[in-house]
Amino acid sequence: MATPAGALVHGRRFAAGVAVGVAAAGLLGALALRAARDHEGLLRAERTDVVTLRALTGVVEAAGGTGDGVRKGVAAFAAQAPELAAIRVVAFEGISLEASTAAADTGDKAAPRRLDREEKDIFDRGQRIRAAVETNRQEGGARKEEIEIRPLPSGGFGFAAPVELGGNVAGLVDVVTAPVSTRLGFGPGAALAFFLVPVALMLLAWRPLGAHRHLLAAVAVAGVAAAAWLYGGAAVRTLREDRSATEAAVRERMASSGAAATAALSAAGIEAPLDPQAWDADLFRRPLAIVAPSGIDAAKSAASFELEAGVLRRIVAGLAALAVAIALFAGYGQAATLFGILRKHREAYAYVAPAMVGMSILVFVPFLYGIMLSFTDSNLYNTNQPISDIWIGLKNYSAILGDFRVVTRAQDGSWMVNFDNFYYTFFFNVVWTITNVAIGVSVGLVLALILNTKGLALRPIYRVLLIFPWAMPNYITALIWKGMFHQQFGVVNQVLQIVGFHPIAWFDRPFTSFLTALATNGWLSFPFMMVISLGALQSIPSDLYEAARVDGATKWQQFRGITLPSLRPALIPAVILSVIWTFNMFNIIYLVTGGEPGRSTEILITQSYKLAFEKYRYGYAAAYSTVIFAILLMYGWFQNRVSRGTEAA
Amino acid sequence: MIIHRLARLGRAIAVTSLLAFASAAVPALAQSPTEIVVWHAYRGEEKTAFEKVVAQYNEANAAKGVKVTTLAVPYDAFADKISAAVPRGKGPDIFIYAQDRLGGWIEAGNTVEPIDFYIDKKDKDRFIPTTVDALTYQGTLYGLPLNFKVITLIYNKKLLPTPPKTSKELVAAAKKLTDAKSGRFGLVYSYGDFYYHAALMNGFGGRVFDAQRNPVLNNPDNVKALDLLMRWLTVDGILPAEPSTALVTSLFNEGKAAMVFSGPWFLGEIAKGVDYGLAPLPTLDEAGGKPMRPWMTVEGVYVAAPSKNKDKAFAFVKYLTDTPAATVLALEGRQTPANKAVYDDAKVKADPVLEAFRKQVEVAVPMPNLPEMTMVWSPATTAMNLVTKKAATTKAALDDAQKKVAADVAGLRKH
Repeated sequence: MATPAGALVHGRRFAAGVAVGVAAAGLLGALALRAARDHEGLLRAERTDVVTLRALTGVVEAAGGTGDGVRKGVAAFAAQAPELAAIRVVAFEGISLEASTAAADTGDKAAPRRLDREEKDIFDRGQRIRAAVETNRQEGGARKEEIEIRPLPSGGFGFAAPVELGGNVAGLVDVVTAPVSTRLGFGPGAALAFFLVPVALMLLAWRPLGAHRHLLAAVAVAGVAAAAWLYGGAAVRTLREDRSATEAAVRERMASSGAAATAALSAAGIEAPLDPQAWDADLFRRPLAIVAPSGIDAAKSAASFELEAGVLRRIVAGLAALAVAIALFAGYGQAATLFGILRKHREAYAYVAPAMVGMSILVFVPFLYGIMLSFTDSNLYNTNQPISDIWIGLKNYSAILGDFRVVTRAQDGSWMVNFDNFYYTFFFNVVWTITNVAIGVSVGLVLALILNTKGLALRPIYRVLLIFPWAMPNYITALIWKGMFHQQFGVVNQVLQIVGFHPIAWFDRPFTSFLTALATNGWLSFPFMMVISLGALQSIPSDLYEAARVDGATKWQQFRGITLPSLRPALIPAVILSVIWTFNMFNIIYLVTGGEPGRSTEILITQSYKLAFEKYRYGYAAAYSTVIFAILLMYGWFQNRVSRGTEAA
Repeated sequence: MIIHRLARLGRAIAVTSLLAFASAAVPALAQSPTEIVVWHAYRGEEKTAFEKVVAQYNEANAAKGVKVTTLAVPYDAFADKISAAVPRGKGPDIFIYAQDRLGGWIEAGNTVEPIDFYIDKKDKDRFIPTTVDALTYQGTLYGLPLNFKVITLIYNKKLLPTPPKTSKELVAAAKKLTDAKSGRFGLVYSYGDFYYHAALMNGFGGRVFDAQRNPVLNNPDNVKALDLLMRWLTVDGILPAEPSTALVTSLFNEGKAAMVFSGPWFLGEIAKGVDYGLAPLPTLDEAGGKPMRPWMTVEGVYVAAPSKNKDKAFAFVKYLTDTPAATVLALEGRQTPANKAVYDDAKVKADPVLEAFRKQVEVAVPMPNLPEMTMVWSPATTAMNLVTKKAATTKAALDDAQKKVAADVAGLRKH
């Protein structure tokens, strides 16, 4: 039975935990909402300015892209569009600035003229947009943005859109908007008060419920959940209002830009129809069809908002989970224990802190980034897009692990191994590891036994020579061995020919190709095993052997009964280590066989490298690497159990 | 007191004069020449000729405050080094490399500067048109062509006085000179290598990518080209089995190969005593008399996008690809410039090797510079191996390769 004073400890801990938890959640929640609102502000600027830009582009296209008509139209448009600080129209033909309302382009710099060298970036932007339009058309998709936006130091934005004449991109409209604030603020500050709900609940509950920890926990969870639900609702409402305001702003801009375009057309003396509805478009110039001059499609607007609302709801839910975790951690006394430990061993923790910081920056951050990448479709073409746009969930993993077509039937009915398949490569990787370790251990052990012979002359020299393969950088060794297996000039085939055999095209068949890599890696791996075994052999007390001899044991019995069991504690960790090294032995495979023929001698790590740097599929390659990591993690777990077993023995 | 003041005055004077001296030194510092760094992968005589041309440029432009320095980067590491260093602003101002990696660099961004803005039609017309096409990606020019490399027909004059002009003549001549038992062959080339096979493929009008940049490895023309190769190999029997580049060299040097399809790199490997000649690849009677059209690789000179001295860098690019410099590269570096005017030079005209490659390039096709090309090599090599070892029919092997490449390309482009 807990004393009343002891019981109050639980209540206090829960109350403190809830307070800290909701403070953190409230702060992060406010920041998340601010980020969401800023994003909405940017979107508003983008959508309204795209409307103006497309209205303007329509005028330029109607005026034929070049000539006086364009200049008159642009001037009239600019007069009615105060949101634009400068308009430039460029025609690719002759690299000419056709019209400009920029302050600098007056006097002898007035349009039309050829672009200056300093203005090369405008021309290049135009060419980039032209290439984007053509690429999208060729691929029948929307992969490259056809309207480019860039934030300017002035606080405005630069927008650029293609001018299309007769189906070809012939020029570019480049506008600079007046400085505009896209910050919509922090959002409903009052709603943050919802986070006081759980604190208030705890204050009411901690005395009456003092001794019942689980009840206190239930109150904390219920309070946090209620607060999150209320705050989430308020936040989504705020964002929805922001979105409505955006739609209204787009509609307003549609009207004003429509008026500007009408004025521009009449100034240029052209009759052309206007299609304001198409002006509300994304950056691929695909109409969004949400806002029209006649009204706003509320259903479509709401549907387009669902994604953002979902993200925000998930963030709030996550923050609530965080708050609950903190509350329970503190409430059940874990926090107090942790702080106690930290305080007790504070010197030790201070000493390891720099290493932990270094590790997290150099190891964990890239590692987590890699894992995150594995859930995306990141590739050469979309490295500039935000992660959320290329998120594809577990698709990479299901493509890697769900493909069981290891063998396929060729058209003539014969079976063919699909060397690109994950399971084939995994199988090869395992065979590669086992054979290599077997060779390394047996050759190393035999050499160690020979070197351990009593009274062997020149032993130090032999030992140095035998360790030599290990001391050499392994890529140099790999390249030397590759050369030795050359079909015509390689020493291996030369020897074969002297003995009377035909030269072998080593890299033309999977098996012989595998043998070359195996020989190279065997050469590299035996010295390590030899050194380990030698050390262990020398530590076996010689009186054991004397006793065995006295008992009449044969050499073989001595070896089985004394030598091998004594080597076990040294050999097992060495084997475990070399399994991991060999499993990921990138250098040897990459340099000696290069995966030839037809990727049949690829191991997982080289396959992953080729996926990233030959096929440019970074996300897929990251997933591949994560799978390799998982395999090695399982192996590591197994290894831990085995080595614990050996320690016990 | 007066002494104190004087001392103070003296100190003031010293400080002012020091300042004056310093300010005089500042413009002197500013005049230190702008350094333009060029990365290249040349070795041997190519490097010597290249450095000579650079030295001439530096001499002529010392007054303008420009100094070009060169750095030879090993070829194997070159492309990866460019990909890693240039986008982060750590690379050179200019680099020279073949066009095959160009598309990848452009798609990755901030690596290669587009140069359409700098040049006009006159500048472009200096070059063999296809070499300019090789450096054009989606309608934008990204570099000026320096040298090109193509394969051509190299023949042993002792075995074959006049080179064949058509594929029928080729087969007839080769049959006479083939005696497989004694290891003699009329024609030897690395036909299993997709790069070499491309000459036949392009001759039939075949291609790897269509105009929409979609892979079309199994189009009927490619199948026809592979069928012809198999006829040469199995019916006519004029080709050896498994022709590695080393085998090609040794057969030719031992006088056991009358004809070889290979490029400028092969010439350095020909033994001293062999009297050889160069001729354009034959026309294909099987393709209605159209010429064989080898793939051409073009060394482009690119301005790095993050360079701080793009104007000055481009001035050097223009100089390097202009006639006087390119002539030195041709005559002393033994390279084949993309600049047409070089071939009007009397000494170049008198050079049979340069003239032969100049003729061959007329029908050559630029090797695709699309980034997707890296995905083609491995499946195409597999297909070539299967077909030449008679493990699959031409159509089936190409269908299979097409499937693989199409899947890889779709994996990259989906979005």
